[in-house]
Formats: sequence, structure tokens, C-alpha cells
Amino acid sequence: MKKLFNSAETMVDDMIDGFVTACPQVKRGTLDPRVVVRRRGAKNPDEKVTLLIGNGAGHEPIAMGFVGEGLLDANVVGDVFAAPSADLILDGVREVTGKAGSILLISQHSGDVINGRAATMLAEEDGINVLPLLMYDDISAAPPERRQDRRGAPGTMFIYKILGAAAEEGMDQAALMRLGEAVRDRTVTLAAAVSPGISPLTGQPMFSLPEDEIYLGMGVHGEPGVGRVKTGPVAGLVKEMLARLLEDRPIAEGGRAAVIVNGMGGTTQMELLTVWRETEAELRRRGITPLAPMVGSFVTTQEMGGVSISLLEPDDEMLRLWCAPQDSPAFPEIHLIPEEGQT
Amino acid sequence: MSAERYFTALRDLAETERDRLNALDAALGDGDHGSTLLRGLTRAAGAADGARAKAFMRASGGASGTLFGLVLHEIEQHLDNGADLAAGLARAEARIRDLGQVKPGDKSMVDALSPAVAALRGGALAAAVTAAEQGRDATVEMVARRGRAQYVEGGGKGEIDPGAVSLTMILALLAKTGGAT
Repeated sequence: MKKLFNSAETMVDDMIDGFVTACPQVKRGTLDPRVVVRRRGAKNPDEKVTLLIGNGAGHEPIAMGFVGEGLLDANVVGDVFAAPSADLILDGVREVTGKAGSILLISQHSGDVINGRAATMLAEEDGINVLPLLMYDDISAAPPERRQDRRGAPGTMFIYKILGAAAEEGMDQAALMRLGEAVRDRTVTLAAAVSPGISPLTGQPMFSLPEDEIYLGMGVHGEPGVGRVKTGPVAGLVKEMLARLLEDRPIAEGGRAAVIVNGMGGTTQMELLTVWRETEAELRRRGITPLAPMVGSFVTTQEMGGVSISLLEPDDEMLRLWCAPQDSPAFPEIHLIPEEGQT
Repeated sequence: MSAERYFTALRDLAETERDRLNALDAALGDGDHGSTLLRGLTRAAGAADGARAKAFMRASGGASGTLFGLVLHEIEQHLDNGADLAAGLARAEARIRDLGQVKPGDKSMVDALSPAVAALRGGALAAAVTAAEQGRDATVEMVARRGRAQYVEGGGKGEIDPGAVSLTMILALLAKTGGAT
């Protein structure tokens, strides 16, 4: 597979160079070149709780594209598909944490959890006030009675955005943790993969799938999920995904759902908008009002083909914060759609 | 002895033992334990004072880099600042059990670390090393419940755990070189 890189050794740092020189919102931190922080809109960390996350590279724009006013204060970038080491995350924590404290967001994958929590332990030893918030939403990874064992999936973007807006308004650390947990408890995600991403390190596909099959519930690195279904018109696939999501965490008739339709990198906007169309129609058919959708490719795995649907049943405060303005390189503006839909 | 001398000696030992550790790991995991340990220790030996365990974590990478790094962090604190070794290793054990979701009997580094911590409570470092060696050897009969070894046929029964081997190595070298005294 042809890829446009200089070398495996430099690809992550080359990308970050490109990112910070292309986007005026961000710059590199002072402690480590793998830490990306706000260039504009940075606040006094003694007054504002700061939010950061570490993740492996190769999934852009998440999460460095979400550093900016009203969203994240820092992102710690690991190697390709590998969680950053604990000491590197600790550098990120040091870089942005002040008297108001910080929250380290951790998308639940084993390396991220071990290294992220180890970093918070080392930070605590140094007298730094940082709390870890584990994020998980993938319903295919564990049944509802073991929600806490689920993987982090694109629904975690609800937490980033809502906490980011609330922190900007001055919410304290303990209240932010409670809000993050509340959003997590109201969020479910299910993915459908159609084709593998190509690893930039090996040049090889990360899994294989027959031409006429779709894998329901596959994780961002090809982790197993629910199982295979045959291809067909996408309306049927979306109906199946929503049935599973709403069985896992029902939303009553008359309820509302904020929606993320996320492409995995190799799925076109044309396809994603079609998936949104079917999602919108199916939710309305079930008597649920779809609100404030985010449709695009935000959590990607190179050219992996596929889509995930995330639902959040928001309260009024969550919905307001989800739609609040922000200034990051890659997060879209979120708009409430009118109750009756747009024509 | 100084942390610099200890980490340099440990690096040299890891170089000598690399192939053996890789071979032990190949039976249960991906066969790189000796190499990743050596890579981390090479950086740790060359790092600034106070930054050695962190340099190890960065260079060694992955979950095992972090978990071994937590042990080396306590040893570094002990050698640099005279921090209490028994309390430090007990803290490292608690953290590793918590982070790795692993307990004694699961066939891991904890099977060597845990008895060593118990022996060090009121005992000498030499006794801790003996306890670690016994715990290490007991992993041969254990069935792995965490890490890649759990997916090996029979959970790796009959093979010694390479993490328990290297953990014992780390403590034995500390005893041999006299700890902080």
C-alpha cells in the first residue's frame, strides 16, 4: 500500500509539526514535543480546571484536533496505535495543571488505562492535583451489567465537548467529574466495519473481511465485536444498529437523542450523510427526537472503512454544553436542528 | 551505591540475559521481554539523576514498561534519596496489582514481587531475594490469567514467567550491590 510518509521513525513527529504550523489554535508544549497545547485561548490553570487526554497516533483528527478554547487544554500523542507512556502523559499533566486541578480523560483501552492511571499516581506523588476519568461506550465490548468493562469508542466525544464547555465556564473539578460520569452513563456507541485500515508501520491491512460482509461492533484496531452481517441497503444496517443501541439503553418515546455519526477514515461524507439520514428517520419512527448531530470522520484508523453511531440522551444542561461554541482545529460547530427536522 | 551505578550494572546484566529472557517470553508472549528491558535500561542508565525510571518507561514502552518502571521508580528513590525500600516496593506492588488487575497466582511479576515485599517487611534484602526466587520458580506450575500468556495453550503451564524472572534479577542485583548503604 502506498503511503505518503518520510519514515516510520519520524511519521508522528512530522505530523505534529504539520499540525501546529497549520493551525493557529495550537502549539507544542514546553516539556515535551509530543504534548500539544492551546496557543490561543489558554486560561490561567489556577482558575480553570484543565482537561487533557493521551492517545496513540494514527486516529486523527482525534484528539489533537480537539485542543482549543472551549474544548481540551492538551493532548499527549503516543506512537502509532500505541498509548503514550506514563512519563509522557505525566509531562502533559505537568504542562497544564494548576491550582484548579486537571482531569485526565482516558478512553478505556488496556494500554491507555494502565499508563494513564500510572501517570496520575506519579503526579499525585509530586503534589499535582489530577483525576483520571475513564470513558467507555462501546456496547459490543460487554453487556449492560458490565458497562464498566466497555471500550472507549467515538461516543466519548460527547464527554470531551460537554466537559470542555463546562470547564471553560468555570465548573470545578469535582462537579466536572460528576458531569463526565453522568454523560458516560447516558452514552452508547456501536460500530460497523466494512474494510480494514492499512498500518503505516507495516503497510499491511489490520484485519480482513469478505467483500459481502460487514463486521458489527469492531473496535478501532480491529478488535472483535458482535459478529458479521451481510451487506445490503444501508437502511437495514442502520435499523439493526439502532435496535441494538436502544435495546442496550432504551430512550422512551417522546425522548431525545444527540447523535454522532463517525466515519472511520475510508468512508465518504456521501455515505456518512446517508447513514445520518437513516438514523434520523429511524429515531423519529421510534418517537425519539434526534438533536444536534455531528456527522463526519473524527475518530479514524487510517483508511479503515466503516461507521459508528453514538447516542446520548442529554439533559438540558448537557445539550446546551454540547452545542456551546469552541475554537479547536477539527471539532465542527454543533447546531440544534428544529424539532420537525429541516427540509 | 548511586542510582547511576545501579542502573548501569542492571543494563549490563540485561544485556547478558537478553536472549534468555526473549526465549522465555517467546514461550508465553511475543518474545521481546529481554529486548524491551534492555532498551529501557539503556536509556535509564544514561538519563539524568531523578529521571531514570521515567526514561525507562518512555523507552521500554507498553504496559510492561510502565509496570516495571513503577518498581524501578521506587528503587531509584531509595538509592537517590534513601527512601524506605520496603515501603516503596510495597507501594509498587499495590500499584501493579491495581493497574494490571493481577494478583499472586496469576503467573506474573507479582508472584516474585509479592513474597519479596512480605519478606522485606522487617527482614533483610537477602531474605527478600530468596522469597522472590521461590515465587519466581513457583510460576512454572501456574496458569496465566492476565496478559498474552493467558491465550497460550494451557495458560503456559510448565513455563516460567519471564516477568517474575526479570523482577527477581532486579532485586538480586540490588542486594548484591548493597542497596543504598
